[in-house]
Amino acid sequence: MLDFLSRRLAAALVTLVLATVVVFAVVEVLPGDPALVMLGTDARPDTLAAVRAQYGFDQPLTVRYLHWIGGLLSFDLGNSHAYGTSVARLIGDRLAVTLPLGALALSWALLVAIPLGVFAAWTHGTAGDWGVMGFTQIGISIPNFWFGIVLVLAFAVTWRIFPAGGFPGWRQDPAGSIYALVLPALSLSLGEIAILTRVTRSAMLDTLREDYVRTARAKGAPESTVLFRHALRNALIPVTTVAGLIAGFLIAGAVIIESVFRLPGVGQLVYDSINNRDLIVIKNVVILFTILVLVVNLLVDLAYVVLDPRPRVAS
Amino acid sequence: MSISRRHLMGVGAFALLPALGPEAWAQAKDRLVIGMSLEPPVLDPTKNAAAAIRSIACPSIFESLGRIDRNGEIKPGLAESWKISEDGKEYVFKLRSGVKFHDGEALDAAVVKFSVDRLFAADSTVPAKSLYTDIEKVEAVDPTTVKVTLKSPNSYLLYNLSLGDAGIMHPKSAATNDKKPVGTGPFAFKERKEGDSIAIERFAGYRDLGDIKLKTIVFKVVKDPSAQVSALLAGDVDTFPGFQAPELVDRLKKDNRFAVVVGTTEGEVIMATNNGKKPFDNLKVRQAMAHALNRAELIDAESGFGTPIGSHFPPHNKAYIDLTKTYPFDIAKGKALLAEAGYPNGFEATLKLPPVGYAQRAGEVLVSQLGKIGIKVSITQLQWPQWLSEVFKEKNYDLTVVAHTEANDLDRYARDGYYWNYDSATFKARWREVVAATDFTKRDELLKDCQRIIARDAVNGFLYQLAKIGVWKKELAGMWENDPSPSADFSGVHWK
Repeated sequence: MLDFLSRRLAAALVTLVLATVVVFAVVEVLPGDPALVMLGTDARPDTLAAVRAQYGFDQPLTVRYLHWIGGLLSFDLGNSHAYGTSVARLIGDRLAVTLPLGALALSWALLVAIPLGVFAAWTHGTAGDWGVMGFTQIGISIPNFWFGIVLVLAFAVTWRIFPAGGFPGWRQDPAGSIYALVLPALSLSLGEIAILTRVTRSAMLDTLREDYVRTARAKGAPESTVLFRHALRNALIPVTTVAGLIAGFLIAGAVIIESVFRLPGVGQLVYDSINNRDLIVIKNVVILFTILVLVVNLLVDLAYVVLDPRPRVAS
Repeated sequence: MSISRRHLMGVGAFALLPALGPEAWAQAKDRLVIGMSLEPPVLDPTKNAAAAIRSIACPSIFESLGRIDRNGEIKPGLAESWKISEDGKEYVFKLRSGVKFHDGEALDAAVVKFSVDRLFAADSTVPAKSLYTDIEKVEAVDPTTVKVTLKSPNSYLLYNLSLGDAGIMHPKSAATNDKKPVGTGPFAFKERKEGDSIAIERFAGYRDLGDIKLKTIVFKVVKDPSAQVSALLAGDVDTFPGFQAPELVDRLKKDNRFAVVVGTTEGEVIMATNNGKKPFDNLKVRQAMAHALNRAELIDAESGFGTPIGSHFPPHNKAYIDLTKTYPFDIAKGKALLAEAGYPNGFEATLKLPPVGYAQRAGEVLVSQLGKIGIKVSITQLQWPQWLSEVFKEKNYDLTVVAHTEANDLDRYARDGYYWNYDSATFKARWREVVAATDFTKRDELLKDCQRIIARDAVNGFLYQLAKIGVWKKELAGMWENDPSPSADFSGVHWK
């Protein structure tokens, strides 16, 4: 077990090192001159050169790479060129919006999708199953930003139950902050609910056909025990894999949803930083997300071990 | 029973209020929430060119020597008066006395000298440095008198010194103004939540608070146009002084809570043309393209907002002349000119578009209009930084659409190596006269001449003047109808 985990950890570290090289290369080749973005169309060549020197844009690539890695290792992410503030604080503030948003959307998705998928599998081929499948078809087809706009029109403009957007801040107004995340998390989770429901349903259908399920039923085990203790536990392995992948998608989806709901989250930060060519922010956010996805994957691996003893035995 | 139920409902509604957040209090009499479609990076106009900085901080936080009023005229700012020498080379500013910065520091001539010196110093990195390089020296004559001497007369100097770019800053706070701006204006910086909002608050030590009715102003960043509409409808935002989605205006007009006020801007929307590249270096080709332009159709694409222009000059300026008929819409004429130029079958060209609404809308229309005289145009979409590097700096383009939003920006046609590669000795000579003019009536005549020269040369496709679409709650009074320069002057703005 320890061996299994340490191999996974080593693989994650190698991925991370490769990722820093790729991220750095991609960000540095982005067309566009950060100094020109700052100083605008009236800038003179001498002022542009001075600003480039001031921020070190004129240094060789290797020097800039090593400088960045050095900073990462010493937990000093530097200062944003556009905002002039610390990148660590900037990202920290934004994560305080995006992480709860993603967590809310994901837990929502799991809470709704797993029972729904089990129900569809259990009522396989009947009206209940068709109903669930029809819902998932719609859920997959609707773009989440459009769903978000519809939610705003209904719940914020017409009925005024939820705010149309914005984020009051955890310290100023914790209740209002949770409130502000409800509609965004709903719209973010719709597509994921649909996908997870379908995955749960098909995984359940597979396991329900297994011999041990028939045996369990033959032994006279109650249906709920058959469904949840025997079938679902095995069906959860593919569901966990997909949920792990979805965590990555949620971060991507957050860029658009944050824009619809005016949430100052990481997605918006990346979007703005790309438009401002705030290279240092882009680099650090992308690496942070790489770490996040690696951690999620490690957790998924860990979940396999808990759910299914076979990887433990194999190692 | 009925009493207790009503009582309970009352409690329920009250309990909801804090959960709705501070937005619920937006309609308090002295608090204004302004929606902005772009977020300023830093808050110091001498560090970054973004117009959004000026629309938040100038002159609300940073004041300049003069102040540009709602009609675009120069009024006293931190200088209560000024004298300009006969030869136009010496400006003597008399400063207001008793002016304090938000941190308690006093304003005097030495502070003004420090600020103006920063604009043109050899190592200055001020974005608008080129506006101030005619200055030779600045002297603090006495605590309330500043003398600015020019190398050569510049009839725009006073205007330029009144812009937010020339905001007066104190040596003690200059370095930190990007994050925590400290000026002399009626509002002091309160707090910023990056990506969300910026709040400013009335400065109790301001010299004339009579006109300052608002206590707090919150600028909220709402980029997405449909989110802008829902923010207004839900009451989260009181106004969008510069609403960017003309196609959604009807939705707001139908709502009798809002006033939709259409005014003017200094933004000329042009189809910038690379005059240095074949076949656009040929005057006949540019004339042919000018004949292909149907401005009414282009303005239709903006839902009817905009005023046609025939040169690079705003129609509301008193020196404006109507040149839209220089090359009237005439497809046959356009085709004939193309044939004369040696392109009877037209040619292919690319149109590189920046990611802004008006350019996207005009781009599609231009493809069809130029197609009618045989020019096959394909569109390439660029991010803003790409546009700046590829089109503006490297001049690697055929055609593009962009609004030139600065006031008095005809000088671009006299600049060497500007991105449209126009080089006319006639224009340059005339522009030098404009800059050197000391008599403003004479200057207006010269400006008319400048407009004629570039219209005749069909330097760019002159499309229309961008409209300012202001949306605000009907109870709000005193907002600026027009946008003579990106500025944040809230004197007189109040809730009825």
